[in-house]
Amino acid sequence: MVGRSFKILLWKELVDLSRDKKTIATSILLPLIIFPMLGLLSLALLVQQEVTIAVVDQDQSTYTNSILNITVSSRDLVDLLVKVLHDSGYNVFIANSTDVLEDPSVDLVVLIPRGFTENASSTLSKARVTVYKRAAVQASSRAEGLVYAIVDSFGQRISIMKINALARLAGVNVTAEAILNPVGTRTILVNIQGQQVGVEAELKSTLARILVLALSAVITPAASFMIDGIIGERERKTIEMLISLPLPVSRIIYAKLVAATMLGLLTAIADALGFLAYMVLTVSALGGQLGIILDYNLLLLHSIVAFFTILVTISIALPFITRTRGIRSASNIASIIAIIGTLIFFTGFIVDYTRLPVDIKTLFYLIPYTHSVLAIQYYVMGYPIESITHIGVLIVLSTILLVVSTKLINTEKLLIAPRT
Amino acid sequence: MTTEYILIVDNLWKSYGDKVAVKGVGFRVRKGEIFGLIGPNGAGKTTTLRIIATLIKPDKGAVWVKGVDAIKDPISARKHIGYLPEDAEVYPRLTGFEHLLFYARLRSPDNPEKAIEFGKKISGLGKRLFDRTSEYSKGMKRRLLIALALLSKPDLAILDEPTSGLDVYASVRVRKMIREYVTSTGSAMVISSHNMLEVEYLCDRVAFINKGVVVAEGSPRELVEKYSAENLEEAFVKAVAGR
Repeated sequence: MVGRSFKILLWKELVDLSRDKKTIATSILLPLIIFPMLGLLSLALLVQQEVTIAVVDQDQSTYTNSILNITVSSRDLVDLLVKVLHDSGYNVFIANSTDVLEDPSVDLVVLIPRGFTENASSTLSKARVTVYKRAAVQASSRAEGLVYAIVDSFGQRISIMKINALARLAGVNVTAEAILNPVGTRTILVNIQGQQVGVEAELKSTLARILVLALSAVITPAASFMIDGIIGERERKTIEMLISLPLPVSRIIYAKLVAATMLGLLTAIADALGFLAYMVLTVSALGGQLGIILDYNLLLLHSIVAFFTILVTISIALPFITRTRGIRSASNIASIIAIIGTLIFFTGFIVDYTRLPVDIKTLFYLIPYTHSVLAIQYYVMGYPIESITHIGVLIVLSTILLVVSTKLINTEKLLIAPRT
Repeated sequence: MTTEYILIVDNLWKSYGDKVAVKGVGFRVRKGEIFGLIGPNGAGKTTTLRIIATLIKPDKGAVWVKGVDAIKDPISARKHIGYLPEDAEVYPRLTGFEHLLFYARLRSPDNPEKAIEFGKKISGLGKRLFDRTSEYSKGMKRRLLIALALLSKPDLAILDEPTSGLDVYASVRVRKMIREYVTSTGSAMVISSHNMLEVEYLCDRVAFINKGVVVAEGSPRELVEKYSAENLEEAFVKAVAGR
C-alpha cells in the first residue's frame, strides 16, 4: 500500500511536471541549447572580428655573413609574416613607418628595425623585432602570439644555418637539433599502479572536472521545483486538499522530492552535455583540439552523485522551506544553500580535493557537497573504493537529513503561512 | 458511546499566538445529517473544520470520527473523512479526469474504478472532464472539487463554504448536488457558510459561531422560534447580540 500510494503521488507530480513547459524549457532544454550556442557564437564572432596588422620593414636589406657564408633577408621575414597572418584571417599590409600607429584601425605593428639582417646573421649580436600592440584590444593578443611564433620559427631557421656553417668551419660533425635543444623532456602517463596509460586517462579528468562544475547548475532548479511543490501549492491553494488525504504528509513530500530530484538529474545531464559541447566548440574556435573521452561509468557515477547531491540540498532546505511565508523567502533560503554548493563545485573544478591536507579535507567533510566532488575525483584517479566510500557517505547523509527534515515538517505550518 | 454519532466534537480550543481562534467549541453530527456551522468571517469556522479534518491540532479538546480518536490517530480518521477547503483550487495542468483518478486511487485504493464513476456522476462535468482544468469556469472547478471530496462516499463530509464565490446558477447546482449526495449515501456532513439561505435550504441542524464560541445550536426552525425571529439571519443577529 505504501509503495502503491507513493507511485500514485509520484505519477501526479510527474504528469504535472511534464506539462510544465516553462520548467522543462529553462531546466533541461535551455542548457542543451545555450551552451553549444555560446560556443558557436564564440567561433562565429572570433572568425568575424577584424584585426589589422602592419608590417614595417625599416631594414629592407639582405646581408651575407662572409665568414659563415649565410644570407639573411628582411624580405623573407616580411613575406613569411604576411603569408601566415593573412592565411590566419588577419588583415595584413606593409607600411613604411610606425606612423601607421596613428591610424586607430591598426591593432598591431611589427617593426623590423635597421640592422636586423646584419645582427641576425652575426655570431656576436642578436637581432630584434618589435611588436607594437594596441592596449585593451583583446583580439590583437591572439595575433601577437602568432607573430611571436612566426619570428621564433624564422630565428630557428637562422640558428640551424649558423650551427651548420660553424660546424663546417670547425670540421666537426654536428646535428643542429643537438646544439639547439641539447636537453629534452617527456612525460609518460601512468596509473596508480605505475602502469603506463594512454592520453585518454588524462582527458578523462577534463570530463570529470566539467561534471563536477555541472553539479552546481543542478541544485537551483531542483530546489525551485521543490519550493514550488510545497509553497507554490500553498499559494495556489491546492495543498490543503492534498494533505487531507489519509496518508502521512512525509509520503506526499517524498513524492515531490523524488520528482524534484528527477528534474535535477535531467538538468545535470543536460548541463554536462551542453557544457561539453561548449568546451569543444570554444577550444575549436581558438584553433585547438579538445579530446573528450566518454566514459559511461563516469557518466553513471555522475548521475548517482547528482541524484544524492540534489537530495541532500532539498533535505537541508526542506525544514526551512516549509516554515517560510512565501516563495520569495523560500527561494532566498535555497539560494544560500546553492551558493555553498557552488563554492565547493567551482573549487572542485580547479582544485584537486583528493590532494588537500588531511586537516583541511576533514573540515570540508562536514559539507556534504565535498563528498560529491571526492566521489568523482577519486574515481577518475583510479581509486574506486574511495569513490564508492564517498558515494556511501553522501547516501547516508542524504537519508539521515531526509528523515530528520520530514520529521520536522509541521502540517499546520504548511497550511498557514507564518505571520510577519 | 461514540457509535451513535458519526462526529463528536468536544470542547475544542485553539490559539494562534495571542489570538484565541476557537474557545470550547463542541457539537455532534448523526449519520445522514447535514450540520451547518454558521458565523461571520474570522468566527473560527475554518479552524474548527481544519481540526476535525485533522489538519491542525487543537490545544485542548477531542474529536471522534466514526469512533476513531481523530487527534490521536489522524490517518485512520481521515479514511472516514472527505474534506473540501474553503478556497481550494485544482491543478491547472491536469484534466478533471486525472484529478478523479488521483484522488480515487488514494481515497478508495480497494475500488478506485467505482469511486471514479461516482465522482464523474456527481461532478456532472461529462466530456469536459477530459479537458485541462485551466479551461474550467469557477463553478466547474468547484463541482470537480466537491466530487473529489465525496467520491469515496466518506462517512463524514466536511465542506467549508461550498458555494463561496459562485454565481447564483452555480450555487443552486452545487446545493442540489450536496442534497442529493447526502440523501443517496446517508453520509454525515458538516458545512460552513455565512449564507443563511443556503443553510436553511441544506442543513438539518446548525450551530451559530461567533468569536470562537458556539452561541446557539438547533434546527433552523428551532433557532428561528427560539429567538422570535423572522428568519435564520435575524436569529443569528439576535443570538450574537444576546451574548
